[in-house]
Amino acid sequence: MSTGIVTTDLRKTFPVRRWQGWRRRPVAAPVAAVDGLSLRIPPGQVTGLLGLNGAGKTTTIRILSTLLRPTGGTVRVDGLDVVEHAREVRRRINVISGGERMVYDRLTARENLWYFGQLYDVPRARLRVRIGELLDLVGLTDAAQVPVERYSRGMRQRLVIARGLINDPAYLLLDEPTLGLDAPIAHQLRALIAQLAADGVGVLLTSHYLAEVEQLCRHVYLIARGSLVAQGSPAQLAGQTVRRHTVRLVLTVADPAVTVALRTLAARHDAELTVDVDDEGRPRFALRHPEDLVGAVVTAVVQQGGTIAGLTVTPPTLEDAILTLADPAVVAR
Amino acid sequence: MSVMGATFVRNWRITLRAYPWTYFVGTLATGVLTIGVSMLAYRAIGGGRVGASFTAATGSADYLGYVTIGAAALTFATRMVLWVAKAQITEYREGTLESQLLTPARRLPYLLGVTAQALSTTAVEITVLVAVASALGVRLSVPDPLTLLAATVAATVAVVGMSVPLSALMLAAGEAHITQNTLFTAMALLCGFTFPTSYLPQAARWLGEALPVTWALRVLRAATLPGADVDPWPAFAVCLVLGGVYLLLGLSILKPAERRALHRSARA
Repeated sequence: MSTGIVTTDLRKTFPVRRWQGWRRRPVAAPVAAVDGLSLRIPPGQVTGLLGLNGAGKTTTIRILSTLLRPTGGTVRVDGLDVVEHAREVRRRINVISGGERMVYDRLTARENLWYFGQLYDVPRARLRVRIGELLDLVGLTDAAQVPVERYSRGMRQRLVIARGLINDPAYLLLDEPTLGLDAPIAHQLRALIAQLAADGVGVLLTSHYLAEVEQLCRHVYLIARGSLVAQGSPAQLAGQTVRRHTVRLVLTVADPAVTVALRTLAARHDAELTVDVDDEGRPRFALRHPEDLVGAVVTAVVQQGGTIAGLTVTPPTLEDAILTLADPAVVAR
Repeated sequence: MSVMGATFVRNWRITLRAYPWTYFVGTLATGVLTIGVSMLAYRAIGGGRVGASFTAATGSADYLGYVTIGAAALTFATRMVLWVAKAQITEYREGTLESQLLTPARRLPYLLGVTAQALSTTAVEITVLVAVASALGVRLSVPDPLTLLAATVAATVAVVGMSVPLSALMLAAGEAHITQNTLFTAMALLCGFTFPTSYLPQAARWLGEALPVTWALRVLRAATLPGADVDPWPAFAVCLVLGGVYLLLGLSILKPAERRALHRSARA
């Protein structure tokens, strides 16, 4: 039996129907939310799933967690098919979503965890200990007896995180888990995710905070329109992009000779050059090229007698990779 | 503790926090109004007498007892349906359906937990309603305990049986009010809560016969109506069979309804 969550040629389409008379009829071709996705989430590491809004990340997580049935392809969790063995799969996984309710407002944190522990059939003695551990972990011990309706958004999200850990899941699916969290709590959660992975839990993470992904994920899948467009480590993905190094330069005063020199340099290297002004009205240049052209840029400015007020070089980032690779035009190519 | 027990406890906790005790006034109002209006009509229009057709149809001339038991049964049916049938659409609306469906817990124990809590709440409401009727001057005969127990079981099976497919319909349609009010209207008209079903047109009577609540009410009448020499057990058996059929039908369509609800929220 293979371990991990493995999807093979996963597909999910949603029919487009409208009321016509007394019936809802299909009015267009079904929309593909996930289209032939094959990925693997092994135990003991954090795997990233990235893409722009509407790329199919949440739909994928809902399929992996048995909430939605795939239209085609398969998903196996430790060899168990998520459709045929849904109940057994649910014992092994859990989901933490940012911005979703997922807990009962009228119950306290302790009561919520107790109830979900019952639904997961956690043994009584273990549950008592586990609730205490989780409340402590998410910093809600002092508010454990307060109904959730009186919680702040961050406190509620921390309870959602505790709920997602109540069954000691072997696999944890995290959909924007730090959304709405204060920086210290988000930092704590990232440490917790890393610790869970070190303890053998397989984690799938979607997040708009790319620093979070770069920090935690060993392997990242990048999807667009439900299809896989790239995969690899965050560094490998960043290296795949066309836009690589960005040299940003600010001059003390505008100098037409310097501008001409930089345009000539950009044309010679086939680099992308943008020119504007900063908040103080000073000329600002950004030169993007696979190679680091900082030396040539500085030489050109100095040769023309220009004075540099600021200079930064940004290496290729994961954000560049997403923007470039997940761009529909690039995907279509 | 089982899923059923945990859901029972959870619902009591939520009820005690969500609803002030004055909420019970509203839940009792319909029953009290039904008894009060019937009492006025009986005394002011009927002169304290009932027609021969009523006695022939019910086997009793105790109209106020008939109406009081009917109003109590209607309160029981509507309150139970509101609790059980609306349990999952309430979870859906409050954003907890997904976290519930993520767990390996089965639906039936969950629904039975909701039912147990609803029974305990509704029992209090019915007791208060009967006490109010007594205060208004209605005198009920002492029921046969065994038949009353059978009637309670029958009514519970009937209402839960009807609630599960209703729950699936609500989830699939994404709305509760039209569905529940259609059922309440049909029950009030067709099941014989406040008048004998023999007064209905033939087609409506057949519709009423298809609802398990009609049969549960017959068992209840047999237990509580003086002079009504009716054998309750055939109606009891029919009620259990019909309620079971409704329950099985409901459970079979509940999962597709849940998937439909999840599809709807996934596309939102």
